[in-house]
Amino acid sequence: MLGQLSWRLVPEEASSSRRMQRPLCSVSLSPAARTRLLSAGFQFTSDLLPLKPLQLSKEAGLTPLEALEVLQAVRRGEGGGGGGDGGGGGGLASLTALELLQKEEELKSIVTFSSQLDAALGGGVTVGRTTEICGAPGVGKTQLCLQLAVDVQVPPCFGGVGGQAVYIDTEGSFLLQRVVDIAAAAVRHCSLLAEDDEQRVAMTTFTVETILANIFLVRCHDYVELLAEIHLLPDFLSEHPKVRLLVIDSVAFPFRLHFDELSRRTRLLNGLAQQLIAMATGHSIAVLMTNQMTTRLLGGRSQQVPALGESWGHAPTIRILLHWAGSRRLAAIFKSPEHMGSTVQYQITSEGFRDVDQSERPPSKRPRTDADQSAESRGDASL
Amino acid sequence: MATIKLKRAGVSSEMCEQLKRHRVESCKDLLSLSSVEVMHAAGLSYRRASELQRTVSRAVAPPVTTALELWSKHSCFSTSLPALDRLLRGGLPRGALTEVVGPSGCGKTQLCLMLSVLATLPKSHGGQDSAVIYIDTESAFSAERLVEIAQSRFPDHFGCKERVLQMAGRVHLYRELTCRHVLNRLERLEEDIISTGAGLVILDSVASVARKEFDTTLPGNLMRRNDMLGHEASTLKYLAHQFDIPVVLTNQVTTHVTGQGSAGDSALVTAALGTAWSHSVNTRLIVQYADARQRQMLIAKSPVAPRALLNYTVEKQGICMDGEESLEVLCEDTDPGLQPIRVQMEF
Repeated sequence: MLGQLSWRLVPEEASSSRRMQRPLCSVSLSPAARTRLLSAGFQFTSDLLPLKPLQLSKEAGLTPLEALEVLQAVRRGEGGGGGGDGGGGGGLASLTALELLQKEEELKSIVTFSSQLDAALGGGVTVGRTTEICGAPGVGKTQLCLQLAVDVQVPPCFGGVGGQAVYIDTEGSFLLQRVVDIAAAAVRHCSLLAEDDEQRVAMTTFTVETILANIFLVRCHDYVELLAEIHLLPDFLSEHPKVRLLVIDSVAFPFRLHFDELSRRTRLLNGLAQQLIAMATGHSIAVLMTNQMTTRLLGGRSQQVPALGESWGHAPTIRILLHWAGSRRLAAIFKSPEHMGSTVQYQITSEGFRDVDQSERPPSKRPRTDADQSAESRGDASL
Repeated sequence: MATIKLKRAGVSSEMCEQLKRHRVESCKDLLSLSSVEVMHAAGLSYRRASELQRTVSRAVAPPVTTALELWSKHSCFSTSLPALDRLLRGGLPRGALTEVVGPSGCGKTQLCLMLSVLATLPKSHGGQDSAVIYIDTESAFSAERLVEIAQSRFPDHFGCKERVLQMAGRVHLYRELTCRHVLNRLERLEEDIISTGAGLVILDSVASVARKEFDTTLPGNLMRRNDMLGHEASTLKYLAHQFDIPVVLTNQVTTHVTGQGSAGDSALVTAALGTAWSHSVNTRLIVQYADARQRQMLIAKSPVAPRALLNYTVEKQGICMDGEESLEVLCEDTDPGLQPIRVQMEF
């Protein structure tokens, strides 16, 4: 049945006659060229197809170069605007849902080392989609991002993706010492699991130094630098095909200052969202963004909601909210096309982002530091 | 932060002229436009407009490094309090904002004075051998206390008068008493850091001028205040990162009423300036009273340290954390924006 359900990605491909009748204003041309063509009497793409560049340039008053570009654009049948440049090979062909299902099954997920969160997300953070993490300050958004920047590099024989990470830091929270701790813990975890030769060989290239070398770091100080970096990223991703994760920590900080007109901010955010989605699907990377919380007054009560407005809520495909409930930290998945919303508990330990240990001693959920472990071994009562 | 002109970014002169007619003159103006607006302003097709955006982006975008390259740089400023340094993995982070928040009289300014002395010490003694920029908005800075701390904490080093005078000469004090003055000072701070060779910037305190001038019960003032604070935060972060120095800020406390309707209003004392400010700082240290004599420092928000409580006292030599009472007791996790802070109960 799935084979009969056709998934059309580009509507113009339906029938050739419909394609001929495309009006010129839907083809992406420069505005000057378009006005000249319209005033010369060309209205549909079918009028232009039989012409050669020189003839077109005489009739419409364009230079030969412009005329050539117009004809190329019309023949290519580009859609207007959007992420046409980022499409991979299959972007313009129509797929059946069956083929899409096979493609989706091949899409790997990046495990987070917190099995409950992975289960709730259906395997982990999905490659090829945009995920947003929002939460109050200090709840662990940066910790989760740092954890994933390390986890994306876990070799495939251990169930990981074996890719590199690009980390765009807009807040200055990327602290190297923390990444070193998380990386060391991940290396320890994997070396304990190494059973066969393939895994042992993989461990030789999975060390703290290689992990650090595979995290590309960019520090952006305002939204202009962030937008500039996003414009240049598709080329960067083509040159570094092993990148599987893009982290932007955080999207909110540069966009919450200095914006007098909110409509401009919304337009820029929408453009940013489209570029990120295009990169996610076109280059097979997982895009992870962090967002802040803002206070909104709803009927006399103040409530914490994700920042950047309602329209930004449409940009990420999957949204995770990290929050406190008393002294516990909870991760709630409240937007996902594949899974029901669910809430899991997590903790931040010295090794990174982890599940809450079920066999933990009561009083409190203490992160284990090396000092504590040596104190315990000496028999000191430290609580 | 740079407003580079388009011509410097490698855009041809005719294109610059064309864009100037649409009032697009700097790289920031161009990148603030959406793709359709760029096509319209430049008169280009979509592909050409994207190429123009990429050219301009190359001039503005920050460089890409890897985490490994950061590893060789030493990135912490030791506070000379061993328990705190151990938890913070070396000390106060460079290139990031550290906030010290607490009720009045708890020791925030004392901590700032102590850090000023430490920054001027030579590297062999654990300092940075650099100048200090101290922006004082509450007129709480006391030069006598600074000298007293220096002489009590490091009696051998500051035994002779010249060293004391030299240290005092390296602490540059700026008294700014209104928001406008603070912002102007921050605009000029880049030049001040270069000319004085500063390795530490202290702003004591962020809250006093903001709360004096913005009455948040009036509509619109909350947004303007948050805007101003965000501007301060991003300027300081930019300077901290570019010069690789730590920035210390102090904040006050406020009473936060968490009313949930008829369920009973409870008022708790938390850090002032709201959630947006809590997001902006990278590390938050809360100082509070344990009882009349004993004070505590709580690491409420830090990318490297777990939630921990340290006891300290304020002595002649500044902040002291030695002795048996400096146990690291890890306490309950709560939202650092709503962390209740204990104020002085007995006088």
